[in-house]
Amino acid sequence: MRRLIAIVFRKEVKDHLRDRRSVMGALAGPLIGPLVFTVMFTVMASWFREGKPLEVAVLGREHAPTLMAFLQRQGATLTDAPKDYEALIQAGKLDAVVIVPADYGEEFSAGRTATVQLVVDNSRNQARSTIRRLSTLLAGYSDMLGSQRLFARGVAPELATPVRVEEVDLATPERMAANVLNIIPIFLVFAAFMGGMNVAIDAMAGERERGSLEPLLLNPVERGALVVGKWLTTVVLACIAIAVCLAAFLLAVHRVPLQDLGVKARFDLMAVLGMLASVVPLAFFASAGQMLVSTYARSFKEAQTYIQLLLLLPMLPGMLLAVSPIQSQLWMYVIPVFGQQLLIGEVMRGQPVGALPFLLGALGCAGAAAFCLSVTTRLLGEERIIFGRS
Amino acid sequence: MIEVRNLHKRFGAVTAVEDVSFSAADGVVTGLLGPNGAGKTTTLRMLYTLIKPDRGSARIDGLDVAERPLEVRRAMGVLPDARGLYPRLTAREHARYAGELHGLSGATLDKRVDELIELLDMKDIANRRAEGFSQGERMKVSLARALVHSPRNVLLDEPTNGLDVMSTRAVRNLIWGLKERGHCILFSSHVMQEVAALCDRIVVVARGRVVADGTPGELRARTAKESLEEAFVSVIGSDQGLMQ
Repeated sequence: MRRLIAIVFRKEVKDHLRDRRSVMGALAGPLIGPLVFTVMFTVMASWFREGKPLEVAVLGREHAPTLMAFLQRQGATLTDAPKDYEALIQAGKLDAVVIVPADYGEEFSAGRTATVQLVVDNSRNQARSTIRRLSTLLAGYSDMLGSQRLFARGVAPELATPVRVEEVDLATPERMAANVLNIIPIFLVFAAFMGGMNVAIDAMAGERERGSLEPLLLNPVERGALVVGKWLTTVVLACIAIAVCLAAFLLAVHRVPLQDLGVKARFDLMAVLGMLASVVPLAFFASAGQMLVSTYARSFKEAQTYIQLLLLLPMLPGMLLAVSPIQSQLWMYVIPVFGQQLLIGEVMRGQPVGALPFLLGALGCAGAAAFCLSVTTRLLGEERIIFGRS
Repeated sequence: MIEVRNLHKRFGAVTAVEDVSFSAADGVVTGLLGPNGAGKTTTLRMLYTLIKPDRGSARIDGLDVAERPLEVRRAMGVLPDARGLYPRLTAREHARYAGELHGLSGATLDKRVDELIELLDMKDIANRRAEGFSQGERMKVSLARALVHSPRNVLLDEPTNGLDVMSTRAVRNLIWGLKERGHCILFSSHVMQEVAALCDRIVVVARGRVVADGTPGELRARTAKESLEEAFVSVIGSDQGLMQ
């Protein structure tokens, strides 16, 4: 049995190393995650440069000296707006411009509502924080003066403010960045599914479609040996994909300015080993599941469709974890995919995990893989599977 | 030696094989002749253990196909209906893979594969990948794969289908060679001329039943027809199979 498994394995490996699609699936596919990660972090870091002084370009500074003094007291640096400020804002060179009209002082002194214009481009995400800070300051100035006027007329200012909204902003850069770190488990799991995908499709649905399944089954070989040999090939490619993905993430994490964002992520040797220990068992299950789907599918195309849908499945729990972190419980580690994502997340954040969750995760995956493989083997004995259905 | 007794197989509402019995002796070429859809391929598939008969039994060299499928598969070489190749493997690698799965290895396997490459005249394609092989070349690779373990019994499902004259002659020569060495050869065809040219014994199948069984001479005598062609039409009740 072991000899036959080795024969099937060697043939499949040789066959697939000659197939560019399989090799690319294992080598290039897993790079998507680290790329997305690098881009997201670099962009975020540029958005949230903390302590960046608020620079305000103003047109008509001389019309509102008190307002200007107020802004400066609040820490804003004032500059005179250039002539072509509209074009500059649209080009993203300038975040916002405050325009104080000439009749501002007159209206103000007469107790009417004076107008200042805030020129912005709301479609630009990068300017958003400047715009918000600036409008908050302006609104604050207006509120302050309003209260003073009411007070001067003997009216309690509270009457004019029935409801006060207080915003508690939790989206600190640290927290946002920590959430972005959560995409690492998602993409590692993704790599486990993606690496062997092409091999799994080809090994069963492909074999039948090109008419080589019948000759293969004619050999005096137990179905189980064929299934295991093909499965091992899929597992090997999935493991290569995981290794490539993890290596790329390591590189990305060391290049991205994580410290600027105040994020603490553990990416030393122990953490890497921990991540491998949690994802590699998943490759067993992912490959077995894909083999099963590929065997059951009516055609190569159908297998491709189903397996690509299956690829979305591991994304779900990961998304959930990224949005709302769950307090992990021991039984959760047994669930394939979900357990692995929990584990990687914990390893990455440097939490002490212990051996039990790893063991439970591996057991869960091994059990699910064994189930899928035995069903696949049983299916291979069925006439409608061997000769195809219409 | 192949013995078939009262095989019966139905797929859903369709009865593919109603009742088929015959035997094929060693050193004899036995032809399974019948129009398309007569049940030839299903019968062969039951013999090579990929389909389980609903009723009846079959023995290959005394081994029951249902009880000892692995040994049965070891005892025979099959050219099945599906002849797909692996596009990224060479002709030689195909033969080697089948040989290894049959338990051959090392020098024995190398020698046997070289023999087959010689026998089937595939020197020029031996180290080429199967992608883009012609029908004839594909057939040669399939035959090499089927014969690599030197089986006593050889089952060929429509072996000359889609082949040109030269390739057809090559297959015929191969069959005669196997017969001379005392192999049991069973092949199916829907082309009467093909069967007449090759077979010592003809089993005519129609609508899932054996309608005639005997040497070409016996068939002619039984139906009292001059030519085998007319005998064939007479036993299957139509002239399907005379085309081509």
